[in-house]
Amino acid sequence: MIRGVGITKYFGGVRALDSVSLDLMAGEIVALVGDNGAGKSTLVKILSGIYQCDEGSLWLGDVKVSHLTAKRAREFGIETVYQQLLLCDNLSATANVMLGQEPVRSRFGPFEIIDNKRSVEQARRHIAELGIELTDLSSPVRRFSGGQRQAIAIARATVKAHRLIQFDEPTAALGVRQTQATLALIQQVAARGIAAIVITHNLDDVFAVAQRVVALRLGRITLDVPVHQTTREQVVACMTGMSFQRDAS
Amino acid sequence: MKVTSILPRVSLTHGRNLGLLSTLILCLLLISFFSPKYLSIDNLLVVALQVSFIGIAAIGTAYLIIGGSVDLSIGSQYALCAVASAMVARSLPSPLAWIFGVAIGALLGLTNGLLVWRVSISPIIITLGTLTIFRGVALRITNGFGVRGVPKSFATFGQAHWLNIPMPVWVLAVLVSLAHMVLQYTRQGRHLYAFGGNREAAEAAGIDGKRLLLVCFALNGALVGTSAVLAASRFGSAAPTFGAGFELDVIAAVILGGVVFTGGEGSMVGVLLAVVLLGVINSGLISIGIDPHYAQMVKGLALVIAVTLDQFTQEQQERHRKKMASLERASTA
Repeated sequence: MIRGVGITKYFGGVRALDSVSLDLMAGEIVALVGDNGAGKSTLVKILSGIYQCDEGSLWLGDVKVSHLTAKRAREFGIETVYQQLLLCDNLSATANVMLGQEPVRSRFGPFEIIDNKRSVEQARRHIAELGIELTDLSSPVRRFSGGQRQAIAIARATVKAHRLIQFDEPTAALGVRQTQATLALIQQVAARGIAAIVITHNLDDVFAVAQRVVALRLGRITLDVPVHQTTREQVVACMTGMSFQRDAS
Repeated sequence: MKVTSILPRVSLTHGRNLGLLSTLILCLLLISFFSPKYLSIDNLLVVALQVSFIGIAAIGTAYLIIGGSVDLSIGSQYALCAVASAMVARSLPSPLAWIFGVAIGALLGLTNGLLVWRVSISPIIITLGTLTIFRGVALRITNGFGVRGVPKSFATFGQAHWLNIPMPVWVLAVLVSLAHMVLQYTRQGRHLYAFGGNREAAEAAGIDGKRLLLVCFALNGALVGTSAVLAASRFGSAAPTFGAGFELDVIAAVILGGVVFTGGEGSMVGVLLAVVLLGVINSGLISIGIDPHYAQMVKGLALVIAVTLDQFTQEQQERHRKKMASLERASTA
């Protein structure tokens, strides 16, 4: 559904990504692992149109896209849930979930009047579909806990994304229970036929939810296998480049 | 759940509005006790007229600060728009001169907006620079003197009345109502709150921050221009020294009105209440025969008390949140 072929990206003289090829299927959860500086974030930013690749090509469905912009990526249905969540703390949960997608009731010259009733209904539906329990949708989100904020950010991504959601370190700042809840949310997302890329340092997360694991090291893919065909040791070896005996798998 | 509760307002703002309203009523009662004529319709209309110039400019400043920016140069814009409009009125029909003054304001605002967008330095510094530049231009084109020889027709806008209410008051009423509706009910208003609250998040959600910021700056300039043209037209003339300290009065009113200086919070109702309250304090103290210098102190004191109370409330809320969070953690552990 989404395919990258030979993606290469330079930052000055540094090759951040070196002919990376990747296929993403609908409803598949892919764990993207790698050490710091391996190129995970660069890849995510290329897929969300923030960076453009210097070489290689991207296929969105049957269309080859040479220059993927953030707008084009968004229109195709690719969203990213960043580690810092990017929520507007001053706005309500509903306003955050619907931000940029507010349903319009009527127009008045250049002004678009928000249909608040529909906005609340839609936000409520998206939140409920993910099985998130939020009692108070109207308070500013700064009043919510870390796990709840994560859930709101994911709900917002599902409003817009119908192809791919990329999760950047979704569990890094969470406690045990909240981590479980977030991983369950990611599975919910995938169950709706949306592909998910999960960047993580936590191998527990990889083996808990991912169907496939992709390891990056120094800009190259060193591993791309179904999770059930690999082991922690192999994943770590591919991330770090330390020697690894193949028969261990 | 109430449908209206989705509006990006917080209880703090509601509390603020209530506080401002009760302070205003208290002030009116106190002043009328010492000076019974103060509450006469005629006098209240004079007060309304006095506050309308600051009120019109406060709309633009409130938008800018809610959006996480600020324009300090509005006092100089005010002077430049007023003298430009009055000078043009000497050779062109007065309606064109009025429009010219507003357009100059929009242009000055837009210039500031472009600078603030392009140069990643605090808007305070950049507009501090243009504050000096615009004032210099106003002084240069007038040689430092008031504009003379302005035709009588120029004054018809600012001195007009409708239903016995002066034109600037009408302009303020209409603009504040529109500004309130845009802020509370439109996508543009919501996006302004979002942009002021978390710029990066707003842009990640597909909001065009550059456009939003430029429109706000231009709009702010146009509002300052409107206010300046009304004032110049009311006096039938203009001087390059107009609007000295104007920015401080406007920003003080906006902040007192509950707009948070870091952006993302505030309402038009609060700003209007604060503008009126400051105007009432000013004129009220004079009318009960207190030295007008005290009015300055009282106005400043009101601002300090208001932001201090804000801070305390926030700290209290923060403590409460922390307590709730630790309770949550304890219950899930």
